[in-house]
Amino acid sequence: MAEKWPTVTKDSFDGSKVEILGETYEPGKPGPEAPGLWRNKLQDRKQMLKYLETGLRYWYAKEGYGSEKRKNPA
Amino acid sequence: MDSALVIEIVDHHGRDPDRLMEIIRDLRLHQYDLPDPVIEQVAERLGLALDQVRAAAVAPILKKRGRPKGKKNKPKLISEPKPKVSVAPRVILRKRPKPEPSLETAAESRPPVPAEAEEPAPTPPAPPPATEEKIAPPAIAAVSEPPMPERRAEVDSTRRYPEMTEPKRSADPTVGPLLEKAKQDGAETAFDRAMEGQKAICQYGANGVCCRLCAMGPCRISLKEGKGAERGVCGATANTIAARNFCRMIAAGAAAHSDHARAVADTFILAAKGEIPGFQIKDEQKLYQLALDLGIAIGDRSVKEIAIEVGEKCLAEFGRQEGELLLVKRAPLKRQEIWRKLGMTPRGIDREVVEMMHRTHMGVDQDYRNLILQGSRTSLADGWGGSMISTELQDIMFGTPQPIASEINLGVLKADEVNIIVHGHEPLLSEMVVVASRDPELLAFAKEKGAKGINLAGICCTANEILMRHGIPIAGNFLQQELAIVTGAVDAMVVDVQCIMENLAEISKCYHTKLITTNYRAKIIGAEHIQFEEHDAINTAKKIVRTAIENYPRRDPKKVSIPQEKSDMVVGFSHETINYLLGGLFRASYRPLNDNIINGRIRGIAGVVGCNNVRTEHDSAHLAMIKELLKNDVIVLTTGCAAMACGKAGLLTPEAAKQYCGPGLAEVCETVGIPPVLHMGACVDNSRILIAATAVVKEGGLGDDISDLPAAGAAPEWMSEKAIAIGQYFVASGVFTVFGVTFPIMGAPQVRDHLFSELEGMVGGKWAFEPDPVKGAKLMIEHIDKKRKALGIDKARERVLYDMAMRREME
Ligand code: SF4
Ligand code: SF4
Repeated sequence: MAEKWPTVTKDSFDGSKVEILGETYEPGKPGPEAPGLWRNKLQDRKQMLKYLETGLRYWYAKEGYGSEKRKNPA
Repeated sequence: MDSALVIEIVDHHGRDPDRLMEIIRDLRLHQYDLPDPVIEQVAERLGLALDQVRAAAVAPILKKRGRPKGKKNKPKLISEPKPKVSVAPRVILRKRPKPEPSLETAAESRPPVPAEAEEPAPTPPAPPPATEEKIAPPAIAAVSEPPMPERRAEVDSTRRYPEMTEPKRSADPTVGPLLEKAKQDGAETAFDRAMEGQKAICQYGANGVCCRLCAMGPCRISLKEGKGAERGVCGATANTIAARNFCRMIAAGAAAHSDHARAVADTFILAAKGEIPGFQIKDEQKLYQLALDLGIAIGDRSVKEIAIEVGEKCLAEFGRQEGELLLVKRAPLKRQEIWRKLGMTPRGIDREVVEMMHRTHMGVDQDYRNLILQGSRTSLADGWGGSMISTELQDIMFGTPQPIASEINLGVLKADEVNIIVHGHEPLLSEMVVVASRDPELLAFAKEKGAKGINLAGICCTANEILMRHGIPIAGNFLQQELAIVTGAVDAMVVDVQCIMENLAEISKCYHTKLITTNYRAKIIGAEHIQFEEHDAINTAKKIVRTAIENYPRRDPKKVSIPQEKSDMVVGFSHETINYLLGGLFRASYRPLNDNIINGRIRGIAGVVGCNNVRTEHDSAHLAMIKELLKNDVIVLTTGCAAMACGKAGLLTPEAAKQYCGPGLAEVCETVGIPPVLHMGACVDNSRILIAATAVVKEGGLGDDISDLPAAGAAPEWMSEKAIAIGQYFVASGVFTVFGVTFPIMGAPQVRDHLFSELEGMVGGKWAFEPDPVKGAKLMIEHIDKKRKALGIDKARERVLYDMAMRREME
């Protein structure tokens, strides 16, 4: 592994040195069409509506999470 | 500055601590910035605390004189030296202000008016306390918070607001050399006009106590208690006048954002109907999201059908007369209740703006509290109405912003390509210019004319719009619009609406640049007008690009000087993207952010937004404030020209986390892989910040309302009426909001109390004015800490690792 991935040496809790995995990103700059265009992953209407119910559940899930949906409001 | 001169100036004022501001002013005549050794000498000689003198040294000062050239030109000192007085410290805030002859003479020469019965008589200044306690000078004291009644009395006795000092020009290294170039080319810029023709600032106007609402005026209220006019001809007090002026600024700002939104809604409907080639529904998911908000059925209906209904329902929000704006329902439930109780929930966008204009007409609403209440309602019609509608519809038509890399600053201009700059606010045309600039036919035409390609760049918020969706680079922010032309390399500057300086037409004459206006609502004499037609958008855009290409051969190589500077940045952090980045597609969530706020790695959230203002050093206040916040583990959300200042300074890259953040925030940014300053878009996209704040509330653990969050907002270099509208909707949404540069109600003590203090009891948010950006950041941090304390998360919890024995014990 050490050959394939860069590692760095850090201090452990007990003061000893440990070698851990270092930065794994590729050097250089992403182009304008960089991966990050996550919205393309939602392909059809079903997926899109499902994402609204989960990812943006604060507004779009019937039963949900969040401070405003708890049993005993503050 | 040599020590002898410092001593001479201090001595000349009789070593009187009460004359601190005058001493500082005279010292400043010799040097723009007072270095620490000078401040130390002054403090020592006057027997004052170092902090107090430092505060005075950065505060705006009262009277401006020409800056002397050379040492010979010493300040003209007052002819009769004052007798030396005791050096015992005094409370400067309580000192009665000295008359400002140039201003008061004018006010006093007006016909006498009856003494004002309504306002409290000036309270005699309290005797100086015997203690060492010192209070900051007036400009700084505006944000301090002693109990209301005493403060009101104090404010009444210091009803004035100091004038701005001569600013340095810019923190951006491209600006100085280009200003020099402009001088050599005979081109005048805003930087020159601010220091020459418009150097003297009218204090009545700056303090908000000048009224020209009717032909019996203009009326100006004295800035000095008990001297000069206390009421306008109709009897309006300083408080009424300042509140009316302030509310009209809100109305204008809300109108600007909302009229932009209306144009977007009109185009959206045409696009949905398929009547305008080039425009389409690009983000279907966002369409469904908005449809759900607007109560529109989705089912099996076609995208077209849903989109038409969404467009029409959004357009109807402008003319709505009753009920509540539909997007208000996105706010936290508690916030909605607060608005309803106060009668602040906006009914319709146009209705609130029109009512605001009516109520500020001569002789209508003359109760400053009632005026500001409608001001809040109008601003909410912008933030949760017009601005939000334009953000949402633009996202649906052009795509919701996602992380994208690009570059910023004038170095993005290219010497061997046709440079086209799009400047303004509406992305409708600029989106089409992006398409046209990639048209093979036009690229061939550019080559025919000797250029290697077509280079598109943006300025102001149009730039932000196409940057976030296409990665088109930004040439600069508001104060760089003239300087872009000074490079001599811009073949066409294409403008639509808002923040466009009229002087672009004049300065273009010094170079070969074609200034092209494109919107019937915003024409400029001297510019070429090519009307943007939605129905034929792509051909309008092609015509514009063609005009630029044709102009390329007219470029004078001798006049071309493109700065080297440009910086990398990562932008496109819509609230949906932040949510996704924090959790991924299947567990998207604000939970990691909330958890890290609760555990203290992130101290709080700040929204730093707004313009540039030539009355303060360009970009400098944004950067100073944001760096201070980052250092203190406060994550920053940014939009508008503030975002561009950050981009130029390298704050919009993930690497900035290591360099500028406290350890907690750096760790979180590194883990998630985000910059510590998140670019959320244009000025209308401040609505994205409101939604992000709401998501944090709804995720839980940090209170039930935006006002409970450890969060604050700021616009340290604001200049536009839109900024006031934004500030007011942030305050009315529960956010503590700090503005720099100047604040337009400082001549009205009760309005000042209302905005800086009383509002907090009503809406949970309040304003503060602090021209020093680092102090502004400290006020924000103090507020964040106050909220952390109220939430019970102010103390770092001790982390205990439980071993099995401890676990068994618990069971
Ligand atoms: S409205 Fe009143 S204060 Fe304003 S200009 Fe007219 S008379 Fe003067
Ligand atoms: S931030 Fe201010 S100056 Fe910049 S584009 Fe927006 S309103 Fe104009």
